[in-house]
This record gives sequence, C-alpha cells and structure tokens, in this order.
Amino acid sequence: MTSALLTPLDTLDRQARPAAGSRPDAEPLVHISNFRMDFGRSTVIRDLSFDINRGETFGFLGSNGSGKTTTIRALLGIYQATAGVLHINGRPFAPEDGARLGYLPEERGLYKKESVIDVMVYFGRLKGLRKAAAVAWSHEYLERVALGDKAKVRLDKLSGGQQQKVQLGVTIMNDPELLILDEPTKGFDPVNRKLLMDIIEDQKRAGATVLMVTHQMEEVERLCDRVVLLKNGEVEAYGTVEAVQDQYGGTVVRLQYSGEIPASVHYVVTRRESTYAELTVTAPVDEALILRELMDAGVTVRGFTAGRPSLDDIFVAVYGDQNAAGADETAGE
Amino acid sequence: MARHNLGTVISFEVTRTFKKKQFWLTTLLVPVILGIVIALIVISNTTTSSKVDSQKDATLRFTYSDASGRIDPTLATAFGGTVVADEAQAIADVKSGRSAAHFAYPAKPTKQATMVYGADLGIFDNGKYSSVATQLMVASAQAEIGDQTLTGLARGSFQVDAITYKDGAVSGGFLGAVAPLLFLLIFYVVIVMLGNQMLTSTLEEKESRVTEMILTTLNPTTLITGKIVSLFIIGLVQMVVFILPVLVGYLFFRTSLSLPDFDISQLIVNPGQMVVGALLLIGGFTLFMGTLVAAGAIMPTAKEASQVFGIMMALVFVPLYAASLVVSDPHALIVQLFTFFPYSAPVTAMLRNGLGSLGPVESGIVIAELFILGGIVLRLAVQLFRYGSVEYSKKVSLRTVFARSRG
Repeated sequence: MTSALLTPLDTLDRQARPAAGSRPDAEPLVHISNFRMDFGRSTVIRDLSFDINRGETFGFLGSNGSGKTTTIRALLGIYQATAGVLHINGRPFAPEDGARLGYLPEERGLYKKESVIDVMVYFGRLKGLRKAAAVAWSHEYLERVALGDKAKVRLDKLSGGQQQKVQLGVTIMNDPELLILDEPTKGFDPVNRKLLMDIIEDQKRAGATVLMVTHQMEEVERLCDRVVLLKNGEVEAYGTVEAVQDQYGGTVVRLQYSGEIPASVHYVVTRRESTYAELTVTAPVDEALILRELMDAGVTVRGFTAGRPSLDDIFVAVYGDQNAAGADETAGE
Repeated sequence: MARHNLGTVISFEVTRTFKKKQFWLTTLLVPVILGIVIALIVISNTTTSSKVDSQKDATLRFTYSDASGRIDPTLATAFGGTVVADEAQAIADVKSGRSAAHFAYPAKPTKQATMVYGADLGIFDNGKYSSVATQLMVASAQAEIGDQTLTGLARGSFQVDAITYKDGAVSGGFLGAVAPLLFLLIFYVVIVMLGNQMLTSTLEEKESRVTEMILTTLNPTTLITGKIVSLFIIGLVQMVVFILPVLVGYLFFRTSLSLPDFDISQLIVNPGQMVVGALLLIGGFTLFMGTLVAAGAIMPTAKEASQVFGIMMALVFVPLYAASLVVSDPHALIVQLFTFFPYSAPVTAMLRNGLGSLGPVESGIVIAELFILGGIVLRLAVQLFRYGSVEYSKKVSLRTVFARSRG
C-alpha cells in the first residue's frame, strides 16, 4: 500500500460538494477569536484566540481539564460558545454545509453491533461519497491497516486498537480539508502509532490542515508547524514550535556524566538521572563556560550538547504546578 | 445534502434492523404463535363438530312428567321420551342408572323451573339434557300455535335495521365507528411495539460513543427524523407480518374458527372523521416519539431509560380506565381532562372521534395542541441530543443541557 491511499477520492466518483479551499490562501482555515465558554457559573475558557493556516499542522496543547476538547466541541458546534468567534472556512461549522471535515474525537466509538464495512460505508455515504466509492475506499483502507479480512466482522468483535483503526479510516475517508485529531495515538501500540503517524503525514502531504490534540510532545515536535499552549482558559504560548521553545528559557544542556553536578548561578538542574542530566541555562553565558565549570568541579563529562528545551520540558515547566490528576477533560469543568 | 443524508439514515437503520436475527425471531414469534393457536382451534372445532354430528344421530332416551299439559306426546315420543306418572320412581331410576334422564315439566313453566335429572356425562355433555328438555317444550309450543311465522315472531326471529341521523345526515353507529377507531389501534400497536426501540435507538449513539462523529457529520434533526421514519417503516412491516396469519385465518378458516362473516361493504366511512383520526395519529405519534427521543438523550443507559418508557405506557393506557365514561358521558370533567391533557389526548380524542362525540372545535384544539407540542418536544429532543448526548456516562439535567446550548 502506498501513500496514494490518502488521496484516492480524487480518482473515485465523488458526489457534488462545495469546493474546498475556495477562499484566499491567506485567510486562515480556522479562526478563533475571544472565545469564552462558561458552564453555568464555571468558566472553562476565559479568552482564547488563535488561527490555523491552511495546510499547516497545528498542535493544541494543554493539561487535562484545560479546555481543549471543549474548544474543539465549540468549534464544531457541539457546544455553543458563550462569547467569541469560532469559524472554519470563514463561518461557523455546520455539517450540512458540506465542509470536508475529519474529526477523530477523544471519546472513540462506532456502531459496535454492525459490521466494519457497513459502518464505514454508512459514514462514507453521510460524508457525500457514492456507495461504490465508499465500498472501494473502505476495502483499500482496511487492507492498508491489516484489517482486510475483518470487513464483515462486527466492530465489537475487534480489539480496541483495531476499532481505532476503523475509526481513523472513517475520519479520513472524505479526503478532509481539515483533520481534527483529539489524542489520536491513545490506545495504539508503537507499531500502530507509527502507522497512524504515517497516515497523518500522508494527509498533510495531500494538503490537509491538521489540528492535533496530544500529550505526546515528540509527536508535536515531529509533525506540528505551530502550537498553542492553553492554561487556565487562556493562551500560555502560541507560535511556531521553535518560537515557543525560545520563549521558554533559551538553551538546555544535555549531559552524559559521572560525579556530582555543582550548584551554579549559570544554570539550574531541571532533570537528573544516574548518568544523564539536563541543565537549563539561566544566565547569558557561553556553553563552553558551563562545560569548564563542570569539569573544574570534578565531573566526568562523557557527552555534552546544547540546544533548545524540548516541548516535554516546557510542558512540565508550564503545567507542573497544576494538579492534573482527576481533572476531567471531557467535561471541561 | 440533508435530504440525501435522510435517505442514507433511513436506509441504514432499516437495513440493519432487518439484518438482525433477533428482530425476525421476535417479529415472527407472534404470527407463529397465532398460527399454532389457529391450527389448534381448527383441529379442536373439527373434532367437536364431528362429535356433535355423531351425537345428533344418537337419540336420548328419557322419561318425563308434564304438570303443565303443554308437551305434545307425539313430539315427546319422537324426541325419545316416555311419559311416567311416578316422578319419585323416575328420579330413583336415574340415580340407579336404569334410566338415562328424567324431565319434570312444572305446572307453570314460565314461572317455575323445569327440572332435569340425568346420569353424569361430564361438564360439557351434561348440557344436552337441558337442551333436549327446552327443545321439546319449544317444539310443543310451536305445534300448539300452528303458524310458523307467528312462532318465529314470538321467538324474536326477525331482523331490525336502524338508521340514525346526525346533523341531517345518516350517522354511522357501530359501523361508522370501526374505520376511525382503526387509527387508535394503529397508535397502540406503533407506540407499544416501537416506543422502546425509539428510546434505545438514540441511546445507542450515546452508549457506543458515536455521538460526536455523528454530530459533526450530519444534522441531528436529520438523524432523529431518519430514525423516526425508519422505525415507522419497521413498524409497518411488523404489523403486516402480525396481520398475515389473522387474514389467512379469516379468509380460509373462518368457519372452523367460528368467526362471524363480517361484510366490509357495510362499514360507513366518514371522510371528516378519517381526516381527524389521521391527524390525531400523526400528532400523537410525533409527541410520544419526540418525548422518547428526549428521554433517550438524557438517560445514560437503556436500563434507566426504561423507567421513562413505563411512565409513557401508563399514560397511553390510563384513558382506557375512563372508556365507559367516554362512551356514556363524553362531557364529564375527567373525560374533558383526558381529552386535552397532551399525553392522554391522542387515545381519548381518537376514541371520541370514533364514537362521534368529538366536536369540530375540540378536534381542532387537540390536533393543534398535539402538533404544536409535538414540534416543540421534537426540537427539544434534538437540542437534548445535540448538547446532552456527549455526556456519555452521565444522566444529564435539562439545566446542564441549556447551559451548554446557551453557553
């Protein structure tokens, strides 16, 4: 199977549908401005604004309960915003408008008592495909994700991971212009996670705009062009991955060592294991000075690299003070 | 797209129901049971008929005493009777088994009981003693009158056809009530058979966690309309399957089943009543289905939703407790309450419409009420589904839903 799978509908018979991307490329595909969301007396989102440009992969980050899923549900009209503007393609989203949306929600599920192929074809038909096209695409997709022999099997007879693959297929089968993935790798083993990432990259190459909610920061660094970090219902950081990394403390020294790392005014130890440590540079000094300081203190240095902080580090730094345990992301309250 | 999706939803819902073995097992169970019952009745009636025929030929031998002097001795002999003077001895002979039966006709048969004594032949066959004693007295009386027409008239064997008028036109009476009451029958069948399915069909989206996929793929109004239409289609199929054995039984085994020969051409169909009946059916169906969808959107599981279904069923059947009042005094306070209270209105109004006691103004008010409230409840149901069904495992309060919908 090749990546051509991800744009097969260009060659299949598709029913008439409003043209995607008919607006100027300069206009963002997703525009959220001054979004506020209250549930009764509880405010989940205070004031949130960001844009997602056409063709980019955008990471939507935040701790559990920070309001990411609530924002997506409001963007898709499942919730009605208390205030603000949430637009896709310049207008509020409505499924009947025919926008090519692929949405993989955090709460996964399909009609469990129906066969895989029946469910896929049903959603394909709802997304505007002719039946023959939906059947052909579904079989092709199932072959790619190693479920070719499961087409006629009831969904509840599949494992959780297999069901997720089917759901991903349903999500992307209308060749979406905007792909929204809420925790896409949740429940996948490493092999299937790679398969999923390949499929997302294929979608990206095919021109899809991807909005991804994830706690896997390496995925964000690998796939995302820009990110927004949400904290206490407001934007904590927003921009390219590099810009956000620069915003959070400049340089990080990654060290393979033995011995005792001394205290210093030039850095703080942000991570320490038996032979590995990360030092966040706190003063405008050359990294060579830090290396000399360590060696003078008797530390045996086996490896020394300096670079930007990882998103993982930034995530811990931003949300470390929050008691994330028990927070209910779904309710957003 | 919306219309295309409505067709897709209907097709999906109908097809997947028809594919289920359980659906056909449940649906076919009723006609199979009916078929078995019909077969048993036919076999039983055939056996009984043969037995009756064989008993016809067997003459009952009995003794009789006649204080009234009305019994024709010739007829009595033809029936198998022998007159006796000693009644006590005749009864003793029956007791000892020397005689099969003894009939003691009193001096004043219209005021005193005719006593029959016989050997026990079992609960059902014992009836033939009374039957023969009565037939002998009737035949003797007819012989005494000597005029067949007169005896027929005396027995009330003549036909009376009644024609009644209402507002200058012939009113239907019972024959006019049958057609509009069919709407009531359809309403009961549809609500009882499909109500629970309607309740659980929206729950399935919730329990399967498929709500968000659905809400971002099609309009919830389209989904719910599609579900209601598909359930109506499924209900019609079930009704056809249920009615089939009844029709076969009526058309081909009417005599064996002892069913009356009902002449459909005698039915009086009043177009006005039929239109009112149809509108009450559609309005009532909309209201009940909308309410069930709304309940399904709020409740987290089928088990909890079934409590709501029980209440709905009670509301459907409660008006039947006042059925006698609906017939005899349609303007009684309780009947008026049931006529206008939305959830008892469909049954009460359809019953009154069938019986011809629902006036045009009342019809208009109830129909308007059902359609307006049905529309509101359906909109509420869509709203609850849209904003409430993403609360997958929680029982959602209306307050929470409206907080989400208003923001």
